[in-house]
Amino acid sequence: MRAVALGDQTTYDAGTLTVSSAEAAALVADPALAEVRVSWASPGDSTRIVKVLDAVEPRTKGPGGGGIFPGFVGPAMPQGRGTTHVLRGTAVVTAGFLPRAQEAVVDMSGPAAPLSPLGTTHNLVVEFAPAPGAAWEAVYEALRNGSLALAARLAEAALGATPDAVEELPGLPDAGDRSLPRVAAITNLQTQGTFKEIFVYGRSFGSIALPTLIDPGDLDDGAVVSGQLGHPSLKNPTWVFQNHPVVAALRARHGVDLLCAGVVLSPEPVDATNKELVSAHAARLCKAAGFDAVIVTKEGGGNADADMALKMDALEELGIPTVALYAEMAGADGTGPSIVVPPTKATAMVSTGNYDERLSLPAMERALGGDRVDVAAATALDAFELPAAVVYASLSPLGWGHLTCQEAS
Amino acid sequence: MTTRVVHYINQFFAGLGGEDTATVPPASKAGAAGPGRKLAQLLGDDFEIVATVWCGDDHAAGPEVMDDLLALVRAAGPDVVVTGPAFTSGRYGLACARVAAAAAAEGIAAVACMHPDNPGIDEAGTAPVVASGEVARQMGPSLETLAAAVRKVAAGEPLGADDGRVGKIPRRNVTVDRTSAERAVALVLARLGGDREATEVPLPRFDQVTPAQPVTDVTTALVALVTEGALVPDANPDSLESARATRWLRYSLDGRDVLPAGEFRSVHGGFSTVWANEDPHRIVPLDAARQLEAEGAIGKLHGEYLVTAGNGTSVGNARRFGVEWAADLRRQGVQAALLTAT
Repeated sequence: MRAVALGDQTTYDAGTLTVSSAEAAALVADPALAEVRVSWASPGDSTRIVKVLDAVEPRTKGPGGGGIFPGFVGPAMPQGRGTTHVLRGTAVVTAGFLPRAQEAVVDMSGPAAPLSPLGTTHNLVVEFAPAPGAAWEAVYEALRNGSLALAARLAEAALGATPDAVEELPGLPDAGDRSLPRVAAITNLQTQGTFKEIFVYGRSFGSIALPTLIDPGDLDDGAVVSGQLGHPSLKNPTWVFQNHPVVAALRARHGVDLLCAGVVLSPEPVDATNKELVSAHAARLCKAAGFDAVIVTKEGGGNADADMALKMDALEELGIPTVALYAEMAGADGTGPSIVVPPTKATAMVSTGNYDERLSLPAMERALGGDRVDVAAATALDAFELPAAVVYASLSPLGWGHLTCQEAS
Repeated sequence: MTTRVVHYINQFFAGLGGEDTATVPPASKAGAAGPGRKLAQLLGDDFEIVATVWCGDDHAAGPEVMDDLLALVRAAGPDVVVTGPAFTSGRYGLACARVAAAAAAEGIAAVACMHPDNPGIDEAGTAPVVASGEVARQMGPSLETLAAAVRKVAAGEPLGADDGRVGKIPRRNVTVDRTSAERAVALVLARLGGDREATEVPLPRFDQVTPAQPVTDVTTALVALVTEGALVPDANPDSLESARATRWLRYSLDGRDVLPAGEFRSVHGGFSTVWANEDPHRIVPLDAARQLEAEGAIGKLHGEYLVTAGNGTSVGNARRFGVEWAADLRRQGVQAALLTAT
């Protein structure tokens, strides 16, 4: 997308997306919402989005092909086949106060902009006022359903246009194909109940569900949707699940030096016994599936480190080399221990940066999502200092970002 | 020119006594004292220990005395500040680390010395730490390591593992060309190629906590309630953080038999607080503790509870809270603590 605007009708023309505010608000409208407003925030703007809840990339399966976001927009059936139309460089972003949400900030310019996936996209920001007496759960559900419907609608606006780029994505390799190492992704999903859950085919993934194998193509079509409001920098927004960076990196090497062999979705139970069960089971599943190596990712803070450590160890015990993506929690000065729960048998870890290191954000001319940033005791327009932990998806557990940690010289 | 050294030690090494004098306030004297005499010999004529600063361990572990200690250090006009060796002594190690950190933050060259398992090790900020032995019996070799480190630090040279440097070298966020996911794929290919060493994150080393001896007679013991469950008075008057806590708080239990819903609530950001707020005793079991006190099953309940929020807390801060709680409770004669965690 090269330019965006608001207008009377929702249209796409030669790299410009125009959105009808009235149509967008109507798509999100719900008895739990008293008011819905949309506005654009684009890269380079002097704009700060605060209280960011989720981001969705506009996609559709085409005319009459209601397969996108299965379980929400499309029917709850496996997807990942045929054509998916994508509005690259855009996102539908919900932002505003919800009681269980930790403050999450996106700057559209300045030093924090390149740290968040949303600092690089044209964002249609959906703000809202809850209906009097509406339950917060219903407000959150309305925003989720509405932003998915809106994202699908925006993509439909471009169906008549010639695509700027066409990518052919590899399907799963044949079961017997041993020509190259079969490498899979284990994607741990936060499963702590309402406000801290992830949806798969529209269903909340259970806290003690057993790990399950899915086709990576399902992710492209939005089978995994976020309902998770904790740990802003360590969140996996729907937008990042749709563009699963580990799957993308595996596909980039598919047929060259590895085979992208599948995705295992796994819960992150809250208690140790179930963490151990789920980890042991995930390792067995990977062994049975014939994976030669695995990359493990998480969602959440230190608690979620334990799930990765247990899986890494369980996989290494079965002889499957494993790499995990960890955010470091090394304190503001970077001298504390990096990882809350380290593995004991595995050692190969990628650092997505230090959660606690602080950065200075400049003053902005416009704020969306709210007026204040309480964690910085400041208005949303002020210049202030924050830990990286507050910058939305800046330490992306799924590996979107370019941050890492190095020892100071 | 002689390099002016200020040496920090605790009350024990200053010759004032052991645990019975752990509450002595910060003080200093001219010249070397205790292990400083041997350190001065090892450093030779180019160095002079111009002052020795000390403090009782229970005070030194508290954050409030750091200004006083630093004032005593500054008054002696040091070129280099040296702290320890603290061996594995937690409160002493914490004080050594913090004095070195505070000096370094003021631009004074500093080095601390303690065992790698000392819980204070991560509190040294940007000041380097060199390894001591585990116990004071190993004073000799520990001081030799320290003296060599002091010479290097005074000369502005960096300390490395060969100098006995332990603890963390600060890790800073940097931006690199490839995404984390791309680097993970490169790392997995390296592993498949037989490389078992490659990693971006060195494995952290955690100390093992030896449990305290059992309480001899709990029916006479003073027992404290402590929690990471972030239970605070309803208005959260001291603004306890719901995540990434940097401090802990204390609230009085004197004259209280219950913690009513509506008067107390949990501000913890890591779990749904509905059930905690419905009955705050689920986080701080004052009701049951008062009953045990009335029955004589415990001697007496301590007059306040200590609280922080354990959610996204750095290991360094969590460890510091533990050491500070232990010192605080010891100072007040508490013999046992019940830690409720969420």
